[in-house]
Amino acid sequence: MNKWTRRGFIGTGVLAGGALVVGVAVRPGNQVGKLRGDVATGEGDQLVNAWVKIGRDNTVTAIVPHCEMGQGVHTSLAQMLADELDADWSKVTAMQAPADGFYVVPDAVREFIATWSLDAPRWIEPTYNGLFTKVSQLGDALVTGGSSSVRATGQHTMRIAGAAARQMLIAAAARKWGVPADEIVTENSMLTHKASGKAGTYGDFAEAASHETMPQLPPLKDVSQFKLMEQGIQRLDIPAKVNGTAKFGIDAAISGQQLKYAAVKAPPVPGAKVETIKADTAKTMPGVLQILNMGDFVAVVADGYWQAQQALNTIEAHYSTTANDGLDDAGLRARYAKALDAAGDKGGKVLAAKGDAAGAFNGAAKKVTAEYQAPFLAHTAMEPMNCTAWVHDGRCEIWTSTQVPLMARSAVAKALGIGAGDVTVNQLYLGGAFGRRLESDYAVQAARIAKATGYPVKLVWSREEDVRQDFYRPADTSRFAAGFDAGGKLVSWNNVFTQLHDPAGAWDASQYDIPNLSIRHAEADMHLRFGSWRSVDHSQQAFFIESFVDELAHAAGQDPFEFRRGLLGKAPRHKVVLEKVAQMAGWGTPPPAGTTRGIALVKAFGTIVGEVVELSMSGGRPRVTKVWCSADAGYVMNPDGFTAQMEGGIVFGLTAALYGGITLKDGAVVQGNFNDYPMVRMNEAPEIAVEFINADTKVLGGAGEPGLPPIAPAVCNAIFAATGQRIRNLPIMGHFA
Amino acid sequence: MNRSATALLVALAIAGCSKPAPDPVEQIVVRKPGDPAVTVPTPAARDATAVGKQAFAASCAACHAVTASAPAGVGPTLYGVVGRKAGTLPGFAYSAAMKGSGLTWSGEKIDTFLANPQDLIPGTAMSAGAVTDPATRQAIAAYLTSLRNGG
Repeated sequence: MNKWTRRGFIGTGVLAGGALVVGVAVRPGNQVGKLRGDVATGEGDQLVNAWVKIGRDNTVTAIVPHCEMGQGVHTSLAQMLADELDADWSKVTAMQAPADGFYVVPDAVREFIATWSLDAPRWIEPTYNGLFTKVSQLGDALVTGGSSSVRATGQHTMRIAGAAARQMLIAAAARKWGVPADEIVTENSMLTHKASGKAGTYGDFAEAASHETMPQLPPLKDVSQFKLMEQGIQRLDIPAKVNGTAKFGIDAAISGQQLKYAAVKAPPVPGAKVETIKADTAKTMPGVLQILNMGDFVAVVADGYWQAQQALNTIEAHYSTTANDGLDDAGLRARYAKALDAAGDKGGKVLAAKGDAAGAFNGAAKKVTAEYQAPFLAHTAMEPMNCTAWVHDGRCEIWTSTQVPLMARSAVAKALGIGAGDVTVNQLYLGGAFGRRLESDYAVQAARIAKATGYPVKLVWSREEDVRQDFYRPADTSRFAAGFDAGGKLVSWNNVFTQLHDPAGAWDASQYDIPNLSIRHAEADMHLRFGSWRSVDHSQQAFFIESFVDELAHAAGQDPFEFRRGLLGKAPRHKVVLEKVAQMAGWGTPPPAGTTRGIALVKAFGTIVGEVVELSMSGGRPRVTKVWCSADAGYVMNPDGFTAQMEGGIVFGLTAALYGGITLKDGAVVQGNFNDYPMVRMNEAPEIAVEFINADTKVLGGAGEPGLPPIAPAVCNAIFAATGQRIRNLPIMGHFA
Repeated sequence: MNRSATALLVALAIAGCSKPAPDPVEQIVVRKPGDPAVTVPTPAARDATAVGKQAFAASCAACHAVTASAPAGVGPTLYGVVGRKAGTLPGFAYSAAMKGSGLTWSGEKIDTFLANPQDLIPGTAMSAGAVTDPATRQAIAAYLTSLRNGG
């Protein structure tokens, strides 16, 4: 990816050398509260966010605000922009938008905090766009997460920028050729006027186009006009990743500087402080430069990473005590049980209520109750947490892999007591993230160490530090009570659980048509840090809900697929997805000898996903041999990328379902590496078939997370079919040790 | 706006008024970058065989065993390698280049080979394992020489 500086063109729209740059226009200087009223009244007059650059050499550069962490977003967003632009794909490249505070993702923010604004009438759209751009800038919202890149930024920003740039090119050509704009045809980065025989490349008109008025709301293509969208275009980042030239955070180098390395260890129990350290041995070890007690962690700086880590391992640290020093899993579960007991069948914070769930349950002819538990989970991204930092002359520069470059910038500035403008964040590829890199703790550590040393330092976490100092998918306990009437109809669903984070509605069960429903949150504290873990609350809620629905199907004496189908009368899109996956898996026909099937259906991040698992019990242990997956994400922009995200979500979720369990002893995390926190390996990876349904071209769903939630319940439901054993707490292999 | 929005606004409020993280509680400067290490013995000052054993474990052991009876890994066992004609250990599928090299391993040859395997034997299957530090190479050669005597 090429390097450049934004300041060369912002506010002018022209790059030295004559390039067209198109962004989303908002007027600067407005306060959040005033924006809504102000912006719609005038023309946007300054380019704040630039998304596309067209050079004189006819190359098109898509400037992508989201980070590339293996999800292929640099490709899919460039693809959406290039299609609206009618660009020649062979001349399109993607580059990472700089983390300078001007690039934000207002549409992703809207998706999460203000869905009410998404269906805005066209006349007010510029107002909302300006408002959310400003809010996003204030909140450092340059975020990659929430399965939002394609459905929000792609659909509402990149496509518009591409379409606007195309119109400006046409206008420039029409002016020069003296022909009507609507007679000019664009294709493969070429402008053509058939009647006069005139033709030119986008590069020829890039500079002239930059002087044209930028349309605020250019019309977008209809599906029938798509050329690049809906194509399984190969990823732009793959060649560099295959030949080794791709640079990840951990590859950071500073020209002209010999990097020193830091290893760190934080107190095992969250909230404890490092009181004293004994570093006699470490001081004598090869390569060691500095030993630091930072108060909240210990660091060793050395010539090499391994030297730093080996020296760190010899340091004896004494930590302050905390209220959680004696906490173990039993203690935590008791804490949760207390909150749930207190909530009973009506208490806690009511999240959804319909009819009288408790009353209907009391009067039910058949009652089913169950308690489910999910453990803490760590992210264990393959690229360890790392950050390179250099603090000098009142400024700090960092090189890292992060999902939140602007938040990292603010966090570093705050920690060092300098302005955000004095911090430069260099964003590199992420070797996996899964929500872990939404946190900036490692960047702050690196900056503080670099401030203390005065020379540049690359901080690399050990895997043990990564597993023990994560921001975790929380452990949760969920209780259900459901009742059938005398006719066998499900009449009551009553659910209460302890952990409520994101996204809103992950607990929802209203896709199933049940007359009396109560879903509540009985808040219970945990001392480990909460983190967004791929699909967040859906990761545990789907296991709870879709396992319990399976229990209800068996209690009703019905086939689990037919039972769900019968409850989906008011959720037609859910029903189509369910039927599709059943058909793919041959549900209703006998499974191959020695295998059973399990099914689950979850809507997460706007995408409905159905999964069927085929499972065999070999040597008394479950083995997932096949997974069928059907998905309705509205409209799939890159089928290859989407399929890969479903597959990735399934394997990541299978790892967690089978093996993932972070446990507590003496207030600290027990696990430390892949020996005791294993992942699914190649020989255990199932064959996966993915198909999708394009049911809505306007409102899209996400891809990065929705594939994950159904896998755990689908596997557990298949285990029940095989053994009659209902798995109510994870990980699964804990039951087959 | 729901709770996420509230959280965002709260975060903004907090960002405006908090203090920077404290400086180190304790900072032990052992040496400055570029200064020679005073307390660390150089490989030459220590027993070369022991140093070589350590270096071998770090750089070579992933592919090569060092006992006579060990099965072949990615590379052949190096027990008794010094004095052996290159590419002749029975049961190991050597590259044609190695088999045809015609050389007999000595400590010196091992040293040369490790500096860049492809230089000494172009086409050897040993694509990894080059050791750039001369002292470490000599130590590994000394260690491999010692294996002849059952070491």
